[in-house]
Amino acid sequence: MQDQSHATLVDPVLQRIDASLKTSCETLFELMRFPGVGADPAHHGDCRATAAWIKNYLSQMGFAVELRETTGQPLVVARMPGPGAQVLFYGHYDVQPADPLDLWDTPPFEPRMGKNARGQDCIYGRGAADDKGQFMTFVEATRHWLAQHGSLPFGLTIMIEGDEEGDASHLDGFLAKNAKEFPCDFAVICDTDMYDETTPAITTSLRGCISEEITIQGPRIDLHSGYFGGPAVNPIKVLAKLLASLHDKNGKVGIPGFYEGVKTLTPSQKKQLKGLRFPEREFLADVGLKHAAGETGHGVLEQLWSRPTAEVNGIWGGYTATGAKTVLPARAHAKLTFRLVEGQKPNKVRAAFRKHVKALLPKGCKISFISEGGDSTGIRIAEDSSWFKAAARALKAEWGKSPALIGSGGSIPVVEFMRKHLKVETLLIGFGRKDDRVHSPNEKYDLESYHRGQRSFARLIAEFSKGV
Amino acid sequence: MSVLNDVLANAEAGFSRSLDRLFELLRIPSISTDPAYHEACQKAADWLVKELSDLGFKAEARPTAGRPMVVAHYAPKGATAKTPHALFYGHYDVQPVDPIDLWESKPFEPVVKKGKDGVERIFGRGTADDKGQLMTFVEAARAFIATAGELPVKATFLIEGEEESGSPSLIPFLKANAKELSCDIAFVCDSGMWDERTPAITSRLRGLVHEEVEVTGPSIDLHSGMYGGAAMNPIRALSKMIAALHDKTGKVMIPGFYTGVAPLPKATRKQWAGLKFSEKKFLSSVGLKSAAGENGFSVLEKIWSRPTAEVNGIWGGYTGAGNKTVIPSKAHAKLTFRLVGKQDPKKILAAFQKFAKAQMPKDAKITFSGKGGGSPASEISENNPYIVKSAAALKAEFGRGTVLVGSGGSIPIVRSFKDILGMDSVLVGFGLNDDAIHSPNEKYNLPSFQRGIKSWVRIIAALAEK
Repeated sequence: MQDQSHATLVDPVLQRIDASLKTSCETLFELMRFPGVGADPAHHGDCRATAAWIKNYLSQMGFAVELRETTGQPLVVARMPGPGAQVLFYGHYDVQPADPLDLWDTPPFEPRMGKNARGQDCIYGRGAADDKGQFMTFVEATRHWLAQHGSLPFGLTIMIEGDEEGDASHLDGFLAKNAKEFPCDFAVICDTDMYDETTPAITTSLRGCISEEITIQGPRIDLHSGYFGGPAVNPIKVLAKLLASLHDKNGKVGIPGFYEGVKTLTPSQKKQLKGLRFPEREFLADVGLKHAAGETGHGVLEQLWSRPTAEVNGIWGGYTATGAKTVLPARAHAKLTFRLVEGQKPNKVRAAFRKHVKALLPKGCKISFISEGGDSTGIRIAEDSSWFKAAARALKAEWGKSPALIGSGGSIPVVEFMRKHLKVETLLIGFGRKDDRVHSPNEKYDLESYHRGQRSFARLIAEFSKGV
Repeated sequence: MSVLNDVLANAEAGFSRSLDRLFELLRIPSISTDPAYHEACQKAADWLVKELSDLGFKAEARPTAGRPMVVAHYAPKGATAKTPHALFYGHYDVQPVDPIDLWESKPFEPVVKKGKDGVERIFGRGTADDKGQLMTFVEAARAFIATAGELPVKATFLIEGEEESGSPSLIPFLKANAKELSCDIAFVCDSGMWDERTPAITSRLRGLVHEEVEVTGPSIDLHSGMYGGAAMNPIRALSKMIAALHDKTGKVMIPGFYTGVAPLPKATRKQWAGLKFSEKKFLSSVGLKSAAGENGFSVLEKIWSRPTAEVNGIWGGYTGAGNKTVIPSKAHAKLTFRLVGKQDPKKILAAFQKFAKAQMPKDAKITFSGKGGGSPASEISENNPYIVKSAAALKAEFGRGTVLVGSGGSIPIVRSFKDILGMDSVLVGFGLNDDAIHSPNEKYNLPSFQRGIKSWVRIIAALAEK
């Protein structure tokens, strides 16, 4: 009886999703045309325009929508009251910068349909996967559910922010201040990947992240490398030494105290990872690599999901244009990020890093630090809640396979904010693929992800209607 | 003697117009390394051709594969094969001006400002390197011709436009025109005085060779969360290679790097120690407190007699505002090696490339796009008769003995003059350590310009004496 009524609820919604996929793609294209690069002040107007578009779209679905001001980009908050559980859905409308522009096959903010290497239809453009395409799977599932049934079986708040790729402290501050407005039982986020082409996934561990920008100052002014080369300290060389000191020969991070609080995997966790039969070689070969570069003695999945890192994301200093300039620069700079796992404290890691590099600084050099904010800790999510189990059932029904319980190397600081401010755990379901090129030129989202993502969320709504 | 005094008096009377002409040249933004300014380079060459033609030189801007070469010849009436023939060399191209925001006045709008010490200084790109300097001998020639009717010697002016970008056309040009350009002696005005009051002749120059490297890791930029830990980061690979270039004592670790580097003769070491060079002042003038570089050598020894491996630029990954959590596909660096003694630029590059390749981790590919070339170091005998004559002329102008110094910078032309034209070079210049050449707010002291002109008048007169 229950199964029958479940099918009665969900089947017509699935039919609606199938029938209107084309329109739904056009809607996503409209959204993707906004170049809302949150990290770049030049695009803040575009961020606001994106938020306004989403507000309008959700209003038409019957939500009560507000654009809430934060210390960063505006936050879209849409509410629809309902019985039973209160659910908070989160996504982000800001996107990564599009550079290097010359490596894009088509302009990043002119979305288009194309075929991937395997001949499958894909949506190409900045934000296709991260995160516009992903959050719209949930929005579209909800739209079709409402069109069919008129109301949701739970209370829903949709929150779409504009600072995910930039400074997460804006949302942190907003939620700290306004937590009372968002009572809920759990949160749902669509910003993660499937395990592989055919296997859905729920992400249960996330690495945290802190970022640092360092500037080494040597001489007061740029110097002629002939007249001063030898006795004058070169800040690029100093910077290179500092960066080289961050890892030992075995890829281990050489900052004293860095690994404090890091737990090694239990034998059963290691076994579960092994059971996924992760194709390490293909994973690396896809991006032109042959060897896993991280800590020796840990497999690739372990390096990505349960080991912290110290990475250099950018470096610059001296003359970098065409031709040669025989200069000893006054300054050299680098941007770094540290990926953290459960147990590491962001502040402690930052302090340990700063102490480490200061100790290595030669006489006559100064170092300064800029922290962009947006610290996040590593997180592991429990798998035994009723809503977690309901989500696993919904995904199995759509994909014909139980979801893999995976980790993610990337940070989603908002999961930590949900814990800290709203005191709830988060369900991380996403339909991204390994080859989506998020943060890179030619970002894409498989049409299948967009389509079956919507279907998965329709099934999830139906599962939640049984009560969670 | 009275002719010389008349010429000197005339040069002084014309200082103000000499400065006006220098300003005209300084206003032309002739940055040779940047293709956007190649038209300006042509304009600077044309301007010099006009000035020299007006003085009675047979002057031309001769085309090359790169920037034009200004060549001008002068012979007094009745000149014979025995009349001394001197070549004067300078360069009209200048360094790029970035970082532009650190300039206090516009780089190509020269101004004279009086300092708190009462000294007037000319500010602008190229004031000291090398337009202000090359104009000292142009203006000296003008004073001579205006006063005495002609120069007492045969003169050839060679003014190039690629000195700041490695002089790629120079050697082919010298080879193609060797007969025309071979003189008894070359004078190069692109060096400095010992201090504000003490003239100097530079008798040692370090050589130079450039290299540019690109390290490639993953085939595309990667998300540092999704791949960080497992994927090789080319910035890290590049940093490790650069860090490996020197040991703790500042010694360059490239195998074979020091081949051909002889220890400094005791006598020279003693002479330099006697110069009472203030290392502290030298370093503090650029905001530094302690000397970097190889342990066990004085600052002067490091600059004049020791080779270096330097990184002039580095870039890779995201360098804009905010942060981007990326593992880049590529990282780049520009390097230069300063050479001394018998170090061979080709061998140094080969040794570096081998060393850099060996430093690369698995999956990192390094490629080299330096243009090669480069120049070895040069040393000129201190007993050379032209050096002796020039030192005496400078002493007469400044009232102090001329010191024979080294220079850390490269002037590849000196090597080429010797190798291709069989001609020694005398390096006389009026720059000062604080001229900020290659940096924002480059300047040339007005007294350097004025006494430079008078010094060349004296040197030209000395050349005509038997």
